[in-house]
Amino acid sequence: MGADSGPGAPAAVPWRKVLYERQPFPDNYVDRRFLEELRRNIRVRQYRYWAVVRETGLIAQQVSCVAVFFTLWSYMEQGELVPSAVLWVCLGCALLGYGLYEILGGFCVRERTRLADLQSATIFLAFTFGFSPVLKTLTESVSTDTVHAMSAVMLLAHLVSFPYAQPSPPGSLSLNAALFGSVCLASRLPGALHTFTMLSCALLVFALWPCLLHRVRERAEWSFPWAAVLVCLAGVGGLGSLWPEGALLLSLALLTLTLVCPLLLVHLQRHKDNIHGPWDEAEIREDLSRFLN
Amino acid sequence: MVLKIFFPQCCNTADSGLLVGRWIPGHNSAVVLAVIHYPFIPGQVKKYLSELQSQTQVDLTVLGSWSMPKEGQEGMDSFLKDLSTIFPQECWLQLSREIGKRGFTCQVVQNNGRLLQEQKNGDDKIVLIHYDQRKVMLSQLHPVQDVGQKSDVEASELRLVFQTVAQSQPLFLLDKYDDGPLKLSHWQSEGREASIIAELLKQASVPVCIFLTWLLSLWHWLCSFRILHLRPVLFISSKLSTCVQSGYRAVHFKTVFSPKKAATHMEFMRYSTWRVAKELQELLEWLMGAPAGLKMNRALDQVLGRFFLYHIHLWISYIHLMSPFIERILWYVGLSGCLGLTFALSILSDIVALLTFHIYCFYVYGARLYCLKIYGLSSLWRLFRGKKWNVLRQRVDSCSYDLDQNTSDTALFPLQLFIGTLLFTILLFLLPTTALYYLVFTLLRLVMVLFQGVIHLSVDFINSLPLFAIGLRICRPYRLAEGVKFKVLCQEPGTPLHLMMEINPLKCSSVLQCYRTPTYSCYPKDSWAALCKKLFVGELIYPWKQKTAKTD
Repeated sequence: MGADSGPGAPAAVPWRKVLYERQPFPDNYVDRRFLEELRRNIRVRQYRYWAVVRETGLIAQQVSCVAVFFTLWSYMEQGELVPSAVLWVCLGCALLGYGLYEILGGFCVRERTRLADLQSATIFLAFTFGFSPVLKTLTESVSTDTVHAMSAVMLLAHLVSFPYAQPSPPGSLSLNAALFGSVCLASRLPGALHTFTMLSCALLVFALWPCLLHRVRERAEWSFPWAAVLVCLAGVGGLGSLWPEGALLLSLALLTLTLVCPLLLVHLQRHKDNIHGPWDEAEIREDLSRFLN
Repeated sequence: MVLKIFFPQCCNTADSGLLVGRWIPGHNSAVVLAVIHYPFIPGQVKKYLSELQSQTQVDLTVLGSWSMPKEGQEGMDSFLKDLSTIFPQECWLQLSREIGKRGFTCQVVQNNGRLLQEQKNGDDKIVLIHYDQRKVMLSQLHPVQDVGQKSDVEASELRLVFQTVAQSQPLFLLDKYDDGPLKLSHWQSEGREASIIAELLKQASVPVCIFLTWLLSLWHWLCSFRILHLRPVLFISSKLSTCVQSGYRAVHFKTVFSPKKAATHMEFMRYSTWRVAKELQELLEWLMGAPAGLKMNRALDQVLGRFFLYHIHLWISYIHLMSPFIERILWYVGLSGCLGLTFALSILSDIVALLTFHIYCFYVYGARLYCLKIYGLSSLWRLFRGKKWNVLRQRVDSCSYDLDQNTSDTALFPLQLFIGTLLFTILLFLLPTTALYYLVFTLLRLVMVLFQGVIHLSVDFINSLPLFAIGLRICRPYRLAEGVKFKVLCQEPGTPLHLMMEINPLKCSSVLQCYRTPTYSCYPKDSWAALCKKLFVGELIYPWKQKTAKTD
C-alpha cells in the first residue's frame, strides 16, 4: 500500500478522492497528496512566564481565603474572639466592600436596585439568625472526626470547582460546598451567636469577596497583584499564629503554586503536538445572535 | 359399521312392548328412552309421540319392538314382526330377551326388508350399551356448552345422548301405573328413594331442642338440692369419675344454652386496648433515647416523641370515656354475626381497624414528614449541583449564571444559593431522625394492613367457594359428569356385545375451577417494586384495592 506502488493502477484515469464513484483503484489507495492538509499546533498559545504567574495569583489567594476562614474559626472555637466584635467587623468590612464596589463600578446603571440589595441582606440576616439555634445542634451527635473530615472535603471541593476563569458570580457548586463545610464547622462552636457570626463570615469570604476582586481586576488591573499578595500574607500569618508548621507548609504550597507550576507549564508547552485537519468537527466561530432578531 | 343401541337399565325387566327413543343423527346409534306396553292403539301412540315431539323438541320415534316373553305369551313374535308395517321406519329394531339368559338377541330389519343378523365375522356389528337412566338424566356433561349456542364443533355422540335423555323429561311423567291410554316403562317405574326419615328429622329438630333444655333445667334443679351438698355425698361424688364428668358436661351445656350475656369479653377488650397503648408508649420512650446507636438529633427527637406521646394520652382518655357504651355496641354487633361467617370476619376487621386508628394517624404524620423531607432534599441537591428541574421538558437542566439582562429570572443569586444550602444542610442532618420514626410507624401500619388483608382474603375465599357444587360432588357424584366408562357385561357368541355405561364424575379441582363465583375480591394494587418505591419515597400506601372501585 503506498502512493506509487499500487498494483494494477492504470495512469490514464487520475484518482479522485470521492467515495461514490467506482474507480479502478483499490479501496485503500492514496496518492501523492496524502496528508497534505495536516496542520500541527495551529491553536497553541505561547505563554509568557510572568503573565502566567500573575494569573496564578487568583488561585493562591483563594487558597489563602480558605486559610483565613479556618483561622477565624479556630479562634472563635477557642473562645479568644468575641462574636459580637467579629460581627461588627464583618459589617464594617461589608459596607466598605460595597462602597468600593460602587466606586469602581462608576455609578453606572445597575441590574439590581439598592433596595433589592438591602432586601437580600435583610432576608439573609433574618434567616440565618433564626436558624442558628437549629444549626448549632445539627452535628451534636456526629463525632468530631467526621465533622472535620466532612469540612475538609467540602472546602477542597470548593477549591477544585471554583470558576477561576469567570469568578464574578461564584459557581454554584463551589459556593454550596464552601457553605456546607462552613455550616459543619460552625455547628461545633459553643453558642448560637457564634454560629451566626461564622456563617456571616463565610458569606463574606466565599460569596462576596470574589465578586469584589473581579471588579477590582476589571477596573484597576495594577492593584490586583497587591491584593493577592495581601491576602496570601494574611493567610500565612493567621495560620502561623496558630500552628507555625502549618504556616510553613502553606507558604511552601503557595510558592510552588505561584512560581513552579507556571514554569512547568511553559516548559511543557514546547512538547505540545496537536494535529488538525479536515477531519475535525466544525466549530462555529461567529456570533449567531444576529439571526435571532 | 357398528350400530350402538343405548338401552336403559330399568327396562331390562320390562314387559314386551314398543321401544320409544331417538336415532342420533350423524352417528349410527339409537337411544331407547321407554317401552310402551300392550295393549295400545297405534293412533294414540303416534298422537302422543307427536305431542311430545312438539313439547320437548326431541324427535322421538318408535325404534322397534321389545319382547320378553312370559308364560302364556307365546306367539308374540309374529305379532311383533307385523308392527313394523304399522310404524314405518328405516331401521326396525327387534330386541328380545329370554328369561334365564343374560344376553339379548337383536335383529335389525332395514326398510328394504333386508335382515341383519349378529354375525361374528360380518361387517355389521351391534353393541348394546346399558345406562342408568335417572343418573344420565340428572347429569351435566362437562365442559358445559350453552344450549342455544351454536358451537363450531359438532356435539359429540355422548353429548347428544345425554342431551336427549335430559330433554325428554316430559316423557317420563306418564307411568305404567297411571290410568291413561298408554302404559310406559322407564326409570320412574323403579320408584323413588324414601326420604321420609330426613323429613321427620327436620320437623322434629326444634321440639327436640326445647325438650333437651327442659331436661337440663330439671337436672339443675335436682342438683341444687341441699341434701346433695352434705359432706358425705359430696365426698363420694367427687371420687366417682362418672359424677365428675357429668358435672362438667352439665356446666358446658348450661353455658351453651344460657341466655345471659357474656361479660368477660368486655374486660378483654379494655385490657387489650390498654396494653397496646402501653406498648406504644414504651416504643416511643425507646425511640426518644438513642435507639440502636443511631445518630439522632436530640432536639427533634424530643419534639417528635412528645408529640406522639400526647397523642397516645388522648387516645387512652378517649377509650376510658367510651367504655360504658362499648359493651352495648359489642353485644349488638356480636348478634349480627348470625348473618354469616364472612360478616363476622368483616366486622372483626373493621373493629381492629377502629382500634388501631391511632397507629394509622401516626403513620400518616410520619409519612408526610418524611415525604416532605425527601422531596426537599432532592430538590435542594439539584440546587447544590447547580441544576434546575425543567418543568416543561420534565428533565434536569444545568443552570448557569447569565449576565444577559433578558434571562435574569433564571439566574441564581447568591442569596438564593445561600439559603438553599442552609436548608439542604439542615434537612440532611435531620434525616436519620425522621427516617427512624417513619420506619417504625410504617412497620406497624404494614402489620395492620397485612392482618386486614388476610381477613379479606379469607372472606373472599369463603364467598367464592361453591359449596353446593362441592356437596353435589361428594354426595351425588353422577350429577357432574366428565365422561363415561364402559364395562363389558356379556360377550357371548350369537348375541350382541353388552356394555355397561357408568358415569365418570368430575374431578374436585375441576369442580372448583368451573363453579367459582365471581366476588368483589380485593387484590394488591401495586407490584412489589412499585410498593418498595412508594415506601422509600414516603408516599402513603393503600395496598388493597376493591374490584368495584371506580377506575381513575
